Amino acid sequence: MISVKHLSKSFDNSCVLKDINAEIRKGEIISIIGPSGTGKSTFLRCLNLLERPDSGEILIAGIPLLSPQTDIYLLRQKMGMVFQSFNLFSHLMVIENLMLGPLHLLKLSRQQAYERSIKLLETVGLSGKAYSYPSELSGGQKQRVAIARALAMKPEIVLFDEPTSALDPTMVSEVLAVIRKLKDQDMTMMIVTHEMNFARDVSSRIFYMDEGIIFEEGPPEQIFGAPQQERTRAFIHKISLFRFTAAGRNFDIYRLNAELEEFGLRRLLTRKQIHNLQLLSEEVLFNLLFPITEIIELAVGCAEDNQQTEISFEYQGTSGNPMENVSPDNELSCMIIKKMSQHCDYSFDKQSNKLKLTLK
Amino acid sequence: MNIQKERKDTELTLTLSGRLDTNTASDLEKEIQQSCNEIETLILDLAGLDYISSAGLRVILSAQKQMLKQGSMKLRNLNESVREVFDMTGFSSILDLE
Repeated sequence: MISVKHLSKSFDNSCVLKDINAEIRKGEIISIIGPSGTGKSTFLRCLNLLERPDSGEILIAGIPLLSPQTDIYLLRQKMGMVFQSFNLFSHLMVIENLMLGPLHLLKLSRQQAYERSIKLLETVGLSGKAYSYPSELSGGQKQRVAIARALAMKPEIVLFDEPTSALDPTMVSEVLAVIRKLKDQDMTMMIVTHEMNFARDVSSRIFYMDEGIIFEEGPPEQIFGAPQQERTRAFIHKISLFRFTAAGRNFDIYRLNAELEEFGLRRLLTRKQIHNLQLLSEEVLFNLLFPITEIIELAVGCAEDNQQTEISFEYQGTSGNPMENVSPDNELSCMIIKKMSQHCDYSFDKQSNKLKLTLK
Repeated sequence: MNIQKERKDTELTLTLSGRLDTNTASDLEKEIQQSCNEIETLILDLAGLDYISSAGLRVILSAQKQMLKQGSMKLRNLNESVREVFDMTGFSSILDLE
């Protein structure tokens, strides 16, 4: 469906895409992941010529995209695009945003375009908002409208450019749920995303991009479970780990809670899991550890299937399991910590104490 | 955390919302100390409270001790996650939960 050979693209003097090669079959769902600034979005934008590549070849359904003889407008109609920043027409109602393309480009009748648009709004759960203006919608709703609008053109390929990056964490899941729904509709989809759980669940293949090339590609089980390249491994490890340094009793606990929430939502943890992480952190930090130490390194890691979430606390000082040091001041906390944890491990190595809890 | 007060004769209702944690527990403690003289029934309405830690539990426990001397204390409208913390610490059995 899409064939890319030796694609390269530079901006001024910086080479963003060095040598991209990829074959994407009809009906495949490809997630493109990787560190910021490695050309993921540029690659996607090259596929419908929002950016013009410097060299290389792109075939869309066998048609050379970069050939001067190709009718690029016709080819673009096969491709829908969903942007990070929605790009809805703010002076048009939701239904008008959806009808615009089908009326003018697909030459549908008003009635046909209307009926199709209403149906698509039902698909994204927004039939009640047909006559609202974009400014009356939340970020998540705007993005769902943008997805419906892309689908209104009956595209064979949909390109998603970080569809959830501009959204509040609370709205991410509603947009991802809509994209998941499209999985079974036999469309070819390419998604640039930072939502790793989502990428793992919906994709048939993952492209890990780094240094201007597709560094590693493979099924989600390989990329997330057993990456072959050192760089991929390092990236996957980093994104599945949350770190925070709590320096003394007066550290910013609001920030910790906000960051834990954001991490949890990105990892698609449940509200309850996030709540429990926050509660465990507060109890351990304030009632077990601050009485004996100042600087504490906190880390949260999630197993790939989210079935197990681990939180660890590392600090310097003399050895001694804080969970065994129960006093009237911390017995309530110990009770809460024990009841909320499946395992509670303490270790001491090279002057460093580590308390590791596995959430129930 | 927000605290709303409503007094009827010797009955005082404190409606809490937000988070009752290490940072906010002292606000509730002060409020109870200031407002509970001459009160016979203290009601803590927790409908809007979505988080409680041991720091909050300690304040509630000391309020219970104070109120037992002068009347009674009741808690109402605990949401699921707050109730869970009350259950796991045994507070559900020593406090009057509605």
